[in-house]
Amino acid sequence: MRDYLIKRILLALGVIFAISAITFFVLNIVPGDPVRVMVGDMADEATIQRVREQMGLNKPVLEQYANWLTNMLHGDFGTSYTQRKAVVTLMGQAFGTTVKVAAFAYIFALALGLVVGVVAAVNHGRAADRILMALSIFGISAPSFWMAVILQIVFALTLKWFPLSGIKTWQAFVLPTVALGVRYAASIARVTRTSMLEVLSQDFMRTAEAKGISKWIIILKHGLRNALIPIITIAGTQLGDIFTGSILIESIFAMPGMGKLLLDAINARDLPLIQGGVMYIALICVVVYLVVDILYGVADPRIRLGEEAAE
Amino acid sequence: MTNAISRRNFLKGSVATAAVASLAACGSSSDASSSDGGAKKKVLRWGQSNAKLGLDMQKSTNSGSSSISESIFEAPLRWTEDNELVPCLLTEVPTFEADGVTLHCTLKENIKFHDGTTLTANDVKYTFERMFTPATGGKSTYMYDRIKGAAEMLAGTATELEGLTVEDDTHFTIVLTDPMASFVSNLGISYAQIFPKAACEAAGDKWGWGTDCIGTGKYKVASNDDTTEIVLEKFADYHDGEPALDEIDVIYYDDNNTKLMAFKNGDIDWCELSPDLLAQYKADPDVKDMITSFETLGVHFINLNLNSENLKDVRVREALSLAIDRQAIVDNTLSGAGIPAGCWLAPQTPGHDDSAVLEYDPEKAKQLLQEAGVSNLTLDCKVRKGQYEKYMTVVQSYWKEIGVTMNLSVEDNGVWSSDWADGNLEVTALGWYPLFADADNHMYTYFYSENAAKKSSFYNSAEVDDLLSRARVSQDPDERAELYKQADHIITHEDYATIPLFWPKGTFVAKSYVKNAKVGNLIYHFFDLDIDTSDPNYTVG
Repeated sequence: MRDYLIKRILLALGVIFAISAITFFVLNIVPGDPVRVMVGDMADEATIQRVREQMGLNKPVLEQYANWLTNMLHGDFGTSYTQRKAVVTLMGQAFGTTVKVAAFAYIFALALGLVVGVVAAVNHGRAADRILMALSIFGISAPSFWMAVILQIVFALTLKWFPLSGIKTWQAFVLPTVALGVRYAASIARVTRTSMLEVLSQDFMRTAEAKGISKWIIILKHGLRNALIPIITIAGTQLGDIFTGSILIESIFAMPGMGKLLLDAINARDLPLIQGGVMYIALICVVVYLVVDILYGVADPRIRLGEEAAE
Repeated sequence: MTNAISRRNFLKGSVATAAVASLAACGSSSDASSSDGGAKKKVLRWGQSNAKLGLDMQKSTNSGSSSISESIFEAPLRWTEDNELVPCLLTEVPTFEADGVTLHCTLKENIKFHDGTTLTANDVKYTFERMFTPATGGKSTYMYDRIKGAAEMLAGTATELEGLTVEDDTHFTIVLTDPMASFVSNLGISYAQIFPKAACEAAGDKWGWGTDCIGTGKYKVASNDDTTEIVLEKFADYHDGEPALDEIDVIYYDDNNTKLMAFKNGDIDWCELSPDLLAQYKADPDVKDMITSFETLGVHFINLNLNSENLKDVRVREALSLAIDRQAIVDNTLSGAGIPAGCWLAPQTPGHDDSAVLEYDPEKAKQLLQEAGVSNLTLDCKVRKGQYEKYMTVVQSYWKEIGVTMNLSVEDNGVWSSDWADGNLEVTALGWYPLFADADNHMYTYFYSENAAKKSSFYNSAEVDDLLSRARVSQDPDERAELYKQADHIITHEDYATIPLFWPKGTFVAKSYVKNAKVGNLIYHFFDLDIDTSDPNYTVG
């Protein structure tokens, strides 16, 4: 297990390095001049050239990459072209907001999805099952930005229960959490239901029932645990998505998070910030998949990793 | 039994949720109530997007940043909402000596910065030298680099600005390398804001961020997180009387829809209404009476690449202009937020020709194409997303009617900017907004041959170059206006070098208690704003 983890971590570092190189060179190949975007339409050519030199963008791309990589290995991701602040500082500020929204949304999605999925499976074929599954299709189909606007209109503008936007109070996080989490909750619910239905029809479930164990203990202890593998897979993938995919939600609810930071960076061709953002996404994805792999073994001891599996 | 318990638990949960929601509702309503029984504080809450470029206008050209910075910092002169140039830090608007290059300036006595220090001519010199220091990376140096010694500083061969000499604490002299009549106008915009030397040097790269914004303006920074909100408060020692407002809260909304919902919700009192939402809110009974429209100084136009073989014949260009019904575009596509353009210069700019009209005559357009021997003409048009795409789709259909096919595609802002500057666009559309009502800033920047070559236009007329150059150095405002009028006529009615479409109008929404809300061009200012605290709708202060 330890060797496996070391291999995975080394592989992850390789992946991150490769992503950094690809991103850097692709960004330098794609059309679009960061200086022109920054200075606006009215600036003259002399000013554009001066700003380019001042930013070091007149140097060869390879030299720029070597400088960036050297600095990155020392923990310096460079300075944002537009905001003139260290990329690490900007990402640190934005990360706090994103973590809050993403964590709340993920907990919400996991809790709601598991409950709905289990309840639907237990009531298979009944009205409750059909209603919950219809709602889950609605949840999957509804785009998050649409959901966000509807929640704003109903709960902020009309009922005035929650703030329309911002990050000042805990109430401000409620609507973004729901808007972001509903879609993931719906997916988890459907996978949970399918997986549970499969487990509920197994012989060991009937055996447990015959022993006189309480219905909900059977469902949660024996049923849900055995249905966990597909749920962990989808929930793990979604953890990565939710941490990196809240761009629209952050824009709509005026939350200065990572998604918004990266979107602005792309629009402004702010290469150091884009690089930092891509590193962040790569890191999140690599870590999440590593954690998911480990959780497989925890959820089902029959699954062993690395050399132990080969023995 | 199990089901019954579940239902009971569900009901308990619902009650708990409702209780939490009620508490949340109570919390939000209490924020808006008056805090004391006495005189209400005058608090204006303004919503706008966050350019995230800081408030140092030597390093940013963003109009949103400018709106905020102009309440904090001040330039030697100021453009009013009626587009008049008035003194601000100076005692009067200076005029050039007979040589056309020497400008003597006098600062008002005893002007205080927000940190309590007194403004002197040394701060002015420091500010301009900072602008031209290469390490600053100034983005608007082209507006001021006619000052003697600026070029040397920008090139890194000098560290002192030869053309700006300090006589004493309140007097300084600027000498230009050659005459430039509009230079004085340039002293009235945010790019010329004066910074206190000691505070600016101490802040270093942090200047313009957080609370490192110390100016002489009506309002000083109370708090600023650079991302969600900046709070300004009244500067009691302001040199030109007591500011009307106690506090200005600038709240950042990047999503226009959210910003307008925040306005409806009472979270903000004043904000811009973007063109894409104008039709929707004109039909909204809660908002429609709060909408105000104003004329800007800009023009939206179709840029034609005169190096393209398809567009070399002036009859083709005239035909393309004649095929467009500008009034219909303004009425239907812009929901009325514009004036059909009859020439280049907008109505408030000296040199504008009131009698100029650009006709809609598709039959004449077809005839001109026939005379030019052109048939099955196909043009490539690339625009940025947003408003440009919308109205060029309409233009596409007008041109189709005269037998011209336009392939319209949308490019990302960064890609478009490079293509435009590299001369790669055959046809495109853009808005060109001067910073103030002076045609030099509006025409020389686009149509002087050297400049046109860098804007996918390649217009090159010796006659127009001569008119623009003469207008640039003339000290007679009437003569300048006449020269610009002539240049405009040649460009838009003889050479059809470009196709003006409309002079855009801006729109904003303001609550009933916001007084003196007025915008003269692009930039929103808080100089003259006030709050009517007796208005029953005002509940914040």
